[in-house]
Amino acid sequence: MPDEHALIAASQAGDAAALDELVRAHQGRVYGFAMRMCRNVEDAKDILQETFLGMLRSIREFRQDSRFTTWLYRIAANACLKKRRRGVHDPHPEQELSLDALMPHPDADGRRPEIPDWSSDAERALLNGELSAQMEAAIDKLPRDYKIVLLLRDVEGFTADETADMLKLSVSAVKSRLHRARVFLRNELAGYFEDTGAKKPEKF
Amino acid sequence: MECRELFARLSEYMDGELSQELCERIRQHLANCAPCVNFAHTLKTTSELCRRLPSRPIPPDVAAELRAFLSSQRQAS
Repeated sequence: MPDEHALIAASQAGDAAALDELVRAHQGRVYGFAMRMCRNVEDAKDILQETFLGMLRSIREFRQDSRFTTWLYRIAANACLKKRRRGVHDPHPEQELSLDALMPHPDADGRRPEIPDWSSDAERALLNGELSAQMEAAIDKLPRDYKIVLLLRDVEGFTADETADMLKLSVSAVKSRLHRARVFLRNELAGYFEDTGAKKPEKF
Repeated sequence: MECRELFARLSEYMDGELSQELCERIRQHLANCAPCVNFAHTLKTTSELCRRLPSRPIPPDVAAELRAFLSSQRQAS
């Protein structure tokens, strides 16, 4: 594959083959992101089309001093949010996750909660392929505004600054949503490992 | 530092976004609080698992549909 810089420059100059190649290089990743955001193929297809149509129409405005994936994901993320705002899937899109509610609390006698460390079980379960479905289901339960931040930061690997830029949020809002989303997910997974009895809680 | 404050800052700690002074206070707390150590471990594992979720390959018919759609848009413009 030619270097992306050259591909982008050729696309900006109107080279249709270069544009096709740019689409091919990024379509898989954008599709995966859209599927996780929308949960169904039809909506993911719409996101995909809207994203690459946006790319086609505004590729000339892209400046090579920024990262192309970040630029493309900004279009994709906005397409997802616009679609989800129609309220098709998420009954509580604006729901807030409170840190207090997510924190393990002492019991009525004031004892600290037992917190088992299932990290090594998670590693094993991931290798066996058991865990992916649990993770996907837990991600699906996140309210939209948290889910998109978690996907961009922890699944797609964008930085806090890039995510803030894509979603037009402050960096501190991104960090705050990411933390809540991670804790929510952690708690969901903890429930899964408790249910499967993967490891007995340790006493403190 | 109390469990509650540590709990609120764990992601920033994991992501290397806190001052040295705060990191030191967190390390001191973790040295003496097994439940927080386990919480921190499992939170870090959760974040790492996200990064390792298998990718979802684009089905060939979806890719073909996208190609057809983009080419029709290009012809129209």
